[in-house]
Amino acid sequence: MARKKRIGREEGRAYWMMVLPALIVYMLVLAFPIVLSIVLSVSNYNGGKMFGGESWQITGFSKYAKLVGDPLFWNSLKNNLYIVLISVFGQLPLGFIFAYIIYRKTVKWPNFWQGVLYVPNIISVIVVAVLWSTIFSPKGPLGEAINSVRFDAFHVKIAALFSGQSGFSITDDLVRKILDIAGPKASAIFTDPPAELKDFLASYSPDQLQQLITDMTNMFVSKWSPTFLGIPDVAMLPILFVTLWMWTGLYMIIFLANMQKIDVQIIESARIDGANEGQVMRYIVLPALSGTLVNTAILCIAGSLSSFSLVWAMTGGGPNHVTEILAIYMFNNAFLGRPDFPLANAIALVMVTVSFILIGLTKAVENKFGGKGE
Amino acid sequence: MSEEIKTTALGRFGAAFAKFLAYFVMVLFSLMTLYPIFWLIMNSFKPTREFQVSQLGFPHVPTLKNYGGPYGAWKLGDFDKLIPNSVIYTLGATFGIIILSVLAGFAFAKIPRKATKLIYASFVIGLLLSVQSLLIPLFLEVNIMGIYNTRLAVLLVYIGAGLPMGIYLSTEYIRGIPTSLVESARIDGAKYFRIFRSIILPMTIPVATTLAILNITGIWNEFALINILVSKTELKSLPLGMYRFSGSLSSDWGKQFAALTIGTLPMLVFYFIFRKQITQGVAAGAVKG
Repeated sequence: MARKKRIGREEGRAYWMMVLPALIVYMLVLAFPIVLSIVLSVSNYNGGKMFGGESWQITGFSKYAKLVGDPLFWNSLKNNLYIVLISVFGQLPLGFIFAYIIYRKTVKWPNFWQGVLYVPNIISVIVVAVLWSTIFSPKGPLGEAINSVRFDAFHVKIAALFSGQSGFSITDDLVRKILDIAGPKASAIFTDPPAELKDFLASYSPDQLQQLITDMTNMFVSKWSPTFLGIPDVAMLPILFVTLWMWTGLYMIIFLANMQKIDVQIIESARIDGANEGQVMRYIVLPALSGTLVNTAILCIAGSLSSFSLVWAMTGGGPNHVTEILAIYMFNNAFLGRPDFPLANAIALVMVTVSFILIGLTKAVENKFGGKGE
Repeated sequence: MSEEIKTTALGRFGAAFAKFLAYFVMVLFSLMTLYPIFWLIMNSFKPTREFQVSQLGFPHVPTLKNYGGPYGAWKLGDFDKLIPNSVIYTLGATFGIIILSVLAGFAFAKIPRKATKLIYASFVIGLLLSVQSLLIPLFLEVNIMGIYNTRLAVLLVYIGAGLPMGIYLSTEYIRGIPTSLVESARIDGAKYFRIFRSIILPMTIPVATTLAILNITGIWNEFALINILVSKTELKSLPLGMYRFSGSLSSDWGKQFAALTIGTLPMLVFYFIFRKQITQGVAAGAVKG
């Protein structure tokens, strides 16, 4: 009896010694911040020492009212929902297609494709953000690529006017044709296009024909300067694109791993019985992956709502707040200008709540339509 | 496996077309993935002045000027401090997550207690919670505790953020180990810590590997949390250091690309060596019910 008691005590002590370290850290990092943000979101705490400094007290739900009345809040929420949508309806289907192609051995070298498409996931999001914002900027390769195509096309048009000639003579006909090709660009450069163009042509000697063609192309071709991230109407698009670029490979890996758990014989015998690829996908693979699909959707939603770094490093929420997402909106309220910690904490709670609501909805959809294949 | 079905001409054509389409999709997306990274590395060997006129071409004369020298990215970015810091945070936090998770996982799985249900459930709920949404309360908490701008704060937050996944995976894994092993050791009079050390710990190497893989890549690249935990250069990690090159130094493209390349290469090499383990680990980490 005494021995049994001693063993029981050892059991309890061992249990708590094993569980407590993890539990304490977990409480400090997840549970306590949530409690703190609940308290602060209904207070008037404004920075400074929390204990023993300036006094602060519970003041009620005014910050939530302020939040609901702030258009910037709704804009951030909207942007977050865009990111959720591109994740759930972009990353997941695309990742599924990649996984399916590899799984059904439609292509050779499965490990190669898998390895390549996962690469964006192991690069720091900061690198990805800076890299892509350079690509989408006027200094990026997109502008150069498009402009070199335009240059070549224009060059051909101008050169056609002089085809078969080794020199040129300035005629009214030639000037008119050049101006036709140049279009409005000519009147943007010259005040009196025909006369000034004649002078311009005259400054070249006939044996400089090739140089002249190149110079005129440079002068008249309209150059394109990509400034996606600076234009409010489209600034979100590059961000959504990069979100897709970055995470699709992750879902491909997850789907592929789960597809590989399906018994190969089921698919083989279905094929022998005359099922086509579409039917295999519809009736065997998709049902088997329904659980995985729901889990990845949850992963997507939780990740998308709290995402911060990518947008922060790509646009910082600009231009003029249009690409702001909840995490950045929260960050700005806490650290920019006069800190409003209660408001920032209210935003934190909204983020947590919205993600739980969306996850709940996903689960509900699963319960309603889900053929539980597992 | 589907040779028997491809008997009709139409079937053969359809299969060939599907194959073509599949290759097309894979090649297209692979290029879209690899080219930007290749472009980044290539341009890091170009002087900024050359980059301004030609963004697509190869460097005329590849140069290391962007990297080395007193004004190179290495020096400007303080990479000699960033890299050791990143190594400390990554290895320290990963090790902490694994030890705490496996310990608690063993207790949850093999020591029968009423408290387990509630505590374990609270960890599992944490799987749905992203620590990133708690940036501001965490910042305030770290200040209350007086550990702002310390390595301790970074390690603590990283370990806490990794625990839900760590505990979930290790508990489920240890549950799969036959309880009879523990019971017979108990009958022989072994204490739980001894059982943990000599029986369970060696058997949890697979799940520990998965956790290491998941956390090493995640923590090495983490930005949002550490951004609010430290501000001193001596404590910054690689992503924080690289972020500087997107702001104040962003018009010196050559150096920016060099800095991004320095920050990317260690992980690319790591990935190249452990690709198989990484993919398996990621897949295992996402399987939850």
